[in-house]
Amino acid sequence: MSTVLTLSGSPSPDSRTSVLLRHTQEWLVDQEHEVLTLHVRDLPTSALLVANTEHPAIRHALGLVRRADGLIVASPVYRAAYSGLVKAFLDLLPDGALAGKVVAPLATGGTQGHLVAMDYSLRPMLSAMGADNLVPGCFVLDRLIQLAGEGGAMDSSALAAVHVALSQFGAALGARHRLPVVA
Amino acid sequence: MTYRLAVVSAGIGEPSSTRLLAERLAQATGQALGGQAEIHVVALRDLAHEVANAVLTGFPAGALREAVDTVVGADALIAVTPIFNASYSGLFKSFFDVLEPDSLAGKPVLIGATGGTPRHSLALEHALRPLFAYLRAVVVPTAVYAAAEDWGGQLTDRIGLAGGELANLVAGTPKPVRQDPYENVVPFEQLLAGNG
Ligand SMILES: Cc1cc2nc3c(=O)[nH]c(=O)nc-3n(C[C@H](O)[C@H](O)[C@H](O)COP(=O)(O)O)c2cc1C
Ligand SMILES: Cc1cc2nc3c(=O)[nH]c(=O)nc-3n(C[C@H](O)[C@H](O)[C@H](O)COP(=O)(O)O)c2cc1C
Repeated sequence: MSTVLTLSGSPSPDSRTSVLLRHTQEWLVDQEHEVLTLHVRDLPTSALLVANTEHPAIRHALGLVRRADGLIVASPVYRAAYSGLVKAFLDLLPDGALAGKVVAPLATGGTQGHLVAMDYSLRPMLSAMGADNLVPGCFVLDRLIQLAGEGGAMDSSALAAVHVALSQFGAALGARHRLPVVA
Repeated sequence: MTYRLAVVSAGIGEPSSTRLLAERLAQATGQALGGQAEIHVVALRDLAHEVANAVLTGFPAGALREAVDTVVGADALIAVTPIFNASYSGLFKSFFDVLEPDSLAGKPVLIGATGGTPRHSLALEHALRPLFAYLRAVVVPTAVYAAAEDWGGQLTDRIGLAGGELANLVAGTPKPVRQDPYENVVPFEQLLAGNG
């Protein structure tokens, strides 16, 4: 069992990214991982935007990242890139905060053509932050996610693709446990 | 005629090297326009609270509304961000996330960034330029990056070069004619008669 933090970078209260993450969390719980959740929108956003790491809620959020063995970073595609909100949070992480953690990017977007936003923006940013165990992750079209109903719903083919990505994430987490610990 | 230059700085330090670079770029552009420029600086740090609210609600309000109007109404935009994690800052991106998608279409833009290390200068080409391309702005070829150790000779030349490019672009761009949607409304009777 590992501890996994799911991070949502959508500013919307009714969010497709959150529906995607809810399905992700279910999968993680089924695999007996401990799941921590963080919605960046719930943090004091103006403190976040000016990089104020002294705020208690932000300190707590940074502590969640520290505790996690694995991180799922989910963002809606905004202007062909990750949201400013998710970037504002990630910018607060201290140097090397992602080193040794398994990191999977997830994104939702309105245009299939913007799948590449994952490869051109989210992944390079995470690797620039020192994520040295970055697994492929997944992009889901917004129309395959329904907000209506309890917790929302996902199209079955999209969900299957997400499960494939999560299996890779899970495998990397498992492999991490088998690595010798370097003191 | 006088050109309106909007200058957006996402620097958060005080003093801010980002803001300094932004102002130097604006001066250089103004000079290249023969002094025919009005410079309006938007310091996002002072609007962080309003930007945060706008991100959550989808609507820029108060002082941010004014800043957005300044940017959208300007003849040209100079946009400068500190580099955080090899890309623009979250504050910078959030401001452009809340602008209406088409509001910068066709706008002449000069992009700049400051960083702690010269190794991240390509962030301008990999992060900022695609963002403005997506917004359909017209970005001048020279982008200006200033690392802590760069302030001096070559940087000044590059600022001058970039400012000159922006000035040429602005002076050559006809002012967009803003259509008032309520002017020349076709009377309803005429629409019904199929003469719209
Ligand atoms: C400000 C804004 C910008 C967007 N830009 C893009 C974009 O560039 N490409 C894209 O595919 N979808 C874009 N979208 C659509 C969202 O990415 C998509 O609807 C996403 O699923 C929303 O996720 P959320 O409900 O979790 O916020 C944009 C939406 C908004 C509100
Ligand atoms: C969280 C954080 C991340 C940073 N990441 C980078 C970076 O990846 N590359 C770089 O050159 N400088 C980086 N820096 C340095 C800033 O770019 C530099 O301090 C900036 O120019 C300050 O601008 P200001 O004085 O306008 O606030 C980072 C600074 C902070 C606080």
